[in-house]
Amino acid sequence: MQQLIEELKVKLIDILNLQDVTPERFDEHARLVGGELGIDSIDVLEMVVMVEKDYGIVINNQEVGEKVFASLASLARYIEENSPKARS
Amino acid sequence: MSERPVHIAAIGMITPLGRDAETTWRGLLDNRSAIGPLTRFAVPDQQPLPVGEAPDPGGDAALPRTHRLALAAARQAMRGAAGPPDAVVLGTTTGGMEASERQLRGGVDDCAAYRWHGLHTVSAAVAAAVGCSGPALTVSTACSSGTLALALALAMLRQGTAKTILAGGADSLCRLTYYGFHSLQLVDRQGCRPLDCHRHGMAVAEGAALLLLTTEPLESSLGELRGAGLSCDAYHPAAPHPEGRGALLAMRRALDDAGLAAEAIDYINLHGTGTPDNDAAEARALRQLFAVLPPLSSIKGALGHGLAAAGAVEAAVAALAVTHGLMPGNTGLQVLDKGLGLTPLTAASAGPVEAALSNSFGFGGNNGALVIAAPGAFPRRNAPPPAPHLTVWGYACLSGAGDTASTLAALGEGRSPAGAVPLERLAMDLPAAQLRRLKRLPRLVLALAGLAGGEGAAPGAIFAGSGWGGLSETHDFLQRLFQSAEQFPSPTDFVGSVHNGPAGQAAILCQADGPNVTMAGGEASFAEALLAAEHLYHGGERPALLVCADEGHPRFSPLFDPGTTGSGGLCDGGGALLLRRGGSEGLCTLRSLFHGSGGDDGLTRLAARLRAAPGPPWSLVLVDIPQRRRDDGQPRGLLRQAGIDAPLVDCRRLCGEFASAAAVAAVFAVAAFAGGVIPAGLVAEEAKSFDRSRGRMLLLGLGEKLTAVEFCAC
Repeated sequence: MQQLIEELKVKLIDILNLQDVTPERFDEHARLVGGELGIDSIDVLEMVVMVEKDYGIVINNQEVGEKVFASLASLARYIEENSPKARS
Repeated sequence: MSERPVHIAAIGMITPLGRDAETTWRGLLDNRSAIGPLTRFAVPDQQPLPVGEAPDPGGDAALPRTHRLALAAARQAMRGAAGPPDAVVLGTTTGGMEASERQLRGGVDDCAAYRWHGLHTVSAAVAAAVGCSGPALTVSTACSSGTLALALALAMLRQGTAKTILAGGADSLCRLTYYGFHSLQLVDRQGCRPLDCHRHGMAVAEGAALLLLTTEPLESSLGELRGAGLSCDAYHPAAPHPEGRGALLAMRRALDDAGLAAEAIDYINLHGTGTPDNDAAEARALRQLFAVLPPLSSIKGALGHGLAAAGAVEAAVAALAVTHGLMPGNTGLQVLDKGLGLTPLTAASAGPVEAALSNSFGFGGNNGALVIAAPGAFPRRNAPPPAPHLTVWGYACLSGAGDTASTLAALGEGRSPAGAVPLERLAMDLPAAQLRRLKRLPRLVLALAGLAGGEGAAPGAIFAGSGWGGLSETHDFLQRLFQSAEQFPSPTDFVGSVHNGPAGQAAILCQADGPNVTMAGGEASFAEALLAAEHLYHGGERPALLVCADEGHPRFSPLFDPGTTGSGGLCDGGGALLLRRGGSEGLCTLRSLFHGSGGDDGLTRLAARLRAAPGPPWSLVLVDIPQRRRDDGQPRGLLRQAGIDAPLVDCRRLCGEFASAAAVAAVFAVAAFAGGVIPAGLVAEEAKSFDRSRGRMLLLGLGEKLTAVEFCAC
């Protein structure tokens, strides 16, 4: 799990171009959307694409999406629970 | 004095419901939906999404589909017209994209294959087909483009700039919009269901509608284009303001402009895209404006969302509702979302419609509303007094040398400021969180907005120009789309790729909720943005920002705009002017003298116009002439014909080859008025003193289109 969290920090900093954030300073429990990072609905969709591309998990329901993207930790948990490996 | 009304003389239309206005109208009255699975192009490994495909528009197969759709609508609208229109004003967001995508994917590297890529080539093709030698203007404000084109045409007719204008919008389906809206999860897999409690989005569609508008007396009028209201949410690049703030402003301004109270409206054609957010925001705005709501419906469940075509099709449908006393139903609706507080027509209904309101809202928070009324149903509007000239109060430019001061310093030292703007060296006083998603063009525009803004009131209205729009975003979107076998398009790049994205960002920065108009006039973009400001900026406490910029893109610039990589490598930049109405303390006045098609006839007309423009003697002539048209004889011959004897500056030799070079040159002219000297490096090695109280300068655009802009002492 911690490994996945660290991996996601690097990915989010890259795809969302969070220039003034480092993986060390990225609090996985902080509010992800609408918080200090300025992450909004477009970024959420960019993350949806990444989750589908890199982890094979489709998120196309807004309510699910709100829970999943509450924090980086909740995103990691969702990926772990729903990865094709976990399901099989 | 009362004003001459603007009448709709004819309507040309091609939509998913049919190849003309009559079939479309019949389909709407039958409550028929034309939305079905995409067939226009293959989508690998995916279930095709529902879209609205138009019938084959016919025409020259060498032209992209948007052009052919626009031409089909133009032919219909001009059937029976006595002569060509004085101007063409067309909204489009895709231009030749559908053809360019195929060629890019196929690795076609011949720039001739992309000569119809530019948005401006659609209005140029229409103008050529209908024999219009006047202005051929291109508005690109995402999903409100068609509506804003009609609003600009209305203002031009009222102010006497033209007597007849062919105006509207056109867009064709393409991968960029199909996958783009899909990546934003804004597409409903069940088809489009506006106002439904299970609505899940729009259906991307295509089509064209052009309205022949005139102030000339008509035997039979299809309705009066009575008012227009523009606004900007200044809130988010893609999502509407949740309370419908901008939507409400646009509707209020349209009613004010029409001189009508809300109670006078008998029918509302909604923007009604079927996305959860749009319908909720629009409903909130409507409930704030109307004590009792008139009958209303969205026709996007029948036609899908034709993007730039939508606003023009819907304005035409509003006119047909007025003419026939029939209102189309809200096709696609199954279970009404009662929370919206709207009661749409579920089927076509009869009833007198003396005035109708038509809404369009687009990315960039870009809103427009139109009022269409039965001819003679309401008293004529009082003609407003003529507006004072636009005056310049601030200026900024960006060039290869850097910001305004660095650019002028380079000129003075005999160095060429041409080159790629060193964006990384420019201090941008903006939080990183606001900049992180922005690529080159929006950064250029935000930098210009910040530099031109100065200390006074922030601009309330924005008039932007860009020949080519956000090339980085468009390139990156298509590249990722193709590299991922069309599986993983980027929502961020799609939102960034819309032509008016940078102006929307500037509106957020300045909290500018006034008109927000982006013109895509190719190399005439600066002159077109100025024309839009002249007609749509009404003054007031807050100034307007006129900003025009283009980015140099290593792959796309040479393909789309051959000549941009001449000897000096890739160049870019732009200019911005802060404008007000009147005031003798401004730096100078600014006005359009000429807009027209090129060629020998055009040059003769331009020379005659310059001869007939009264004022002090010309101190300086700046000429913007793209490399492919550079013929030193042309400007000198023109100036001889016009009787102008003044030093000539070749803008592109100074600023480099790019579509917005004229905007940098405009800043040189303003800087001369500001400093009372013609900057060193323009006409002589030394700065030359210049009597700014009597000075006059001319900026000529001698490309495919001819433009002339005058700078004069206040």
